[in-house]
Amino acid sequence: MEGSSEPLLDAKAEVANQLLDFQWKLGMAVSSDSCRSLKYPYVAVMLKVGDRSGQVKNKSFEMTIPQFQNFYRQFKEIAAIIETV
Amino acid sequence: MAGELESCKSLSGLLNGLAQEAFHGHPGITEELLRSQLYPEVPPEEFRPFLAKMKGILKSIASADMDFNQLEAFLTAQTKKQGGITSDQAAVISKFWKSHKTKIRESLMNQSRWDSGLRGLSWRVDSKSQSRHSAQIHTPVAIMELEIGKSGQIVAVLALWFYSCGQMGCLRGSQETKP
Repeated sequence: MEGSSEPLLDAKAEVANQLLDFQWKLGMAVSSDSCRSLKYPYVAVMLKVGDRSGQVKNKSFEMTIPQFQNFYRQFKEIAAIIETV
Repeated sequence: MAGELESCKSLSGLLNGLAQEAFHGHPGITEELLRSQLYPEVPPEEFRPFLAKMKGILKSIASADMDFNQLEAFLTAQTKKQGGITSDQAAVISKFWKSHKTKIRESLMNQSRWDSGLRGLSWRVDSKSQSRHSAQIHTPVAIMELEIGKSGQIVAVLALWFYSCGQMGCLRGSQETKP
């Protein structure tokens, strides 16, 4: 999409960060010092965001699989709505 | 004193106390607290090895995340060995693990999550009909707020916006090209 200008938002809103990139990885925690048989899958996400001054930051966090499924569902909903607006 | 140590109700309480301290991170559950609350008739020098034995057994079960077959085999072996446990004690331990397994596993998983987690997510879609920088009309923009944190504490709130690239599932924000 051409025209990457910042949206003109409500003056009171403090939405400063633009989502530039979204990376994910699916990991499996196998074992740890507190539990030899851990065996849980998780999704790790790395967001690249840019603020008003152009500075780019990385934000990462982890999600359980149910959390990720909800996260993904929310994005799908957003995508569907954006199409129709 | 052996009779006291074999008491089922006290053992159940003991396992609970051990689990709280070892897995769920509750501080202040000392050997003395457990002894005075659950086995007041037992002298400390006799209680100590008993506590250590039970702690060891519980940790082994939790660490291996034993299913019920493994648990059965493990506890049977413990009853057969020198200085092991009685079959009554094995029954109490088995019952304890079956009802607390999920919760203990959850705590162990949390102990090994060091990265922040997603605590909350909210969003809205705005439709902007005008922009200062270009003549775009009806440019929908998604605004999302992420609450990121660990162990009940919100560490960061990330508010961000993005346009859709027009394809379902592709939600990269448009890249700002610097002059």
